[in-house]
Amino acid sequence: MQSCFSVVLLALIAWALWSTGFWLVQRADWSVVSGNLPLFAIGSYPEASRWRPILWLGSLLLLTLFTLAQPLLLRRGIGLNSTILSWSWLLMMPLGLWLLAGGGVLDPVPSRLWGGLVLTLLLTVFSGVIALPLGVLLALGRCSELTTARQLSKIYIDGMRAVPLIAVLFFGQLLLPLFLPVQIEINRLLRAVVAFGLFAAAYVAEDVRGGLQAVPPTQSEAAAALGLGPWQIQRLVILPQALRIAVPALTNQAVGLLQNTSLMAILGLVELLGISQSLLANPAYIGRHLEVYVWLAALYWLLCTAMALMARQFERQDPSNLIATRRS
Amino acid sequence: MTVAVRAESVTKSFAAGTRALDDVSLSVRHGEVLVVMGPSGSGKSTLIRTFNGLESIDSGSLDVVGIPLDCDHDERQIRRIRRRVGMVFQQFNLFPHLTILQNITLAPIQVKSVPKPMAERRAHALLDQMGIADQALKYPAQLSGGQQQRVAIARALALDPELMLFDEPTSALDPERVKEVLDAMRQLADDGMTMVVVTHELGFAREVADRVLFMDGGRVVELTDAETFFTHAKEERSQRFLNQMAH
Repeated sequence: MQSCFSVVLLALIAWALWSTGFWLVQRADWSVVSGNLPLFAIGSYPEASRWRPILWLGSLLLLTLFTLAQPLLLRRGIGLNSTILSWSWLLMMPLGLWLLAGGGVLDPVPSRLWGGLVLTLLLTVFSGVIALPLGVLLALGRCSELTTARQLSKIYIDGMRAVPLIAVLFFGQLLLPLFLPVQIEINRLLRAVVAFGLFAAAYVAEDVRGGLQAVPPTQSEAAAALGLGPWQIQRLVILPQALRIAVPALTNQAVGLLQNTSLMAILGLVELLGISQSLLANPAYIGRHLEVYVWLAALYWLLCTAMALMARQFERQDPSNLIATRRS
Repeated sequence: MTVAVRAESVTKSFAAGTRALDDVSLSVRHGEVLVVMGPSGSGKSTLIRTFNGLESIDSGSLDVVGIPLDCDHDERQIRRIRRRVGMVFQQFNLFPHLTILQNITLAPIQVKSVPKPMAERRAHALLDQMGIADQALKYPAQLSGGQQQRVAIARALALDPELMLFDEPTSALDPERVKEVLDAMRQLADDGMTMVVVTHELGFAREVADRVLFMDGGRVVELTDAETFFTHAKEERSQRFLNQMAH
């Protein structure tokens, strides 16, 4: 009976693999992807300045590879110092913004022309930049002894978590301008990033709170006994430990952040999903939905895997062994 | 000034209503080693934790290294005291995310604004003194319990304290690790450090203590010189305790 079942199951799996493979290689028409690779990468960025987003993507790719190969390189004694590596990652943010937006020696390019993978990454990174510090502050507030700070943080966190992301995005996009005076016009992209960051901060706050609560109270006692003040204790003793403990949960948030940027397509931003939808609206590519979405899935999978791998590496390299998911 | 700690009628109750300290008065002279003994729950830990403000007091008054500390729990006074009083805990409480060296230099750099190279030189000297000079760049999790506790002692010494408080420093250690910590403490006492030590180590108390404070139920049962305490304790309660400890 059991062996019979196994045979049927194996046959089913084999059939699924075969038909998928057959479709991928034979039936699918990949011209919609291969013919539009630049569009997927950088959207309809002005021809003359295309090297700028491409340079940014290239350096990100290079840095990712470097980071992932770090243990291997270190073993041969040619690895980069990890401090240099972290600074390079930090440097990528202003660099990306400058390359894309222009300014100084570079021609300015308005943000409505940004798109594709570059925009997806930009949205992820900058909403993360808003969400992380704000989330940490909220978590500190939530664990604070001051009633006002605690209540305010609680209200913010619970409120944000009770609202769907798409509602927050629409609020930022459509309603916010109505409340603001006419003279103040905020960039559409900026509105999306801010709304997204504010939303994600609530979730980051809860992850960080988990970390804060996992640090034993004897730690702040020991720090206090050394004469450190309340802020020094938080900054030098509690937070560094809490953040390390929260790394697995925060990685989860980062992956979620990347995937959720696809919601911005609904707001008309042409990030990866937005570009795909506009491509599919082109009569030349009618009926190529499957190809485009399979390609998109593969792309997101690749990005998320790279993030997960880097996070795992960060966990392994932590010499103090504080991060919650240790290798057994 | 020759008195490191003076406590007068110190009383403390916990929220649950248990009386942790009941009219405790004592004084510790500079250069003296006072060992605090007593059954668990007798208030010995609470007592030495009031000395650096980790526990507030309900009534009475305290004077630690010349700084008054009473019931209003003034944060500024407490921090002034903490800069001059070192404490070693039962569970070491090292900072796991920092190296041994960083554990020791954190307070001098942050609290006393000692330049980093100077703080590090001092830290290396202290580690050397504790017999663990080669562990400076490791993390606490990589050290044995006895080594961690010696790091904790070095960390407390890095602020050049006038008074060291030890809260059951060997109770969390493997029996074969106890000696190395006690040796370090003995060395410290020989160097003239003022110490208040909560411990169950009779041998250490007999050998190193100048005086012994015996507590029970938050009260001072007996406070005499070590010799008298171990040979003919006055109070029946102390005798009973010593008998039990001896078996």
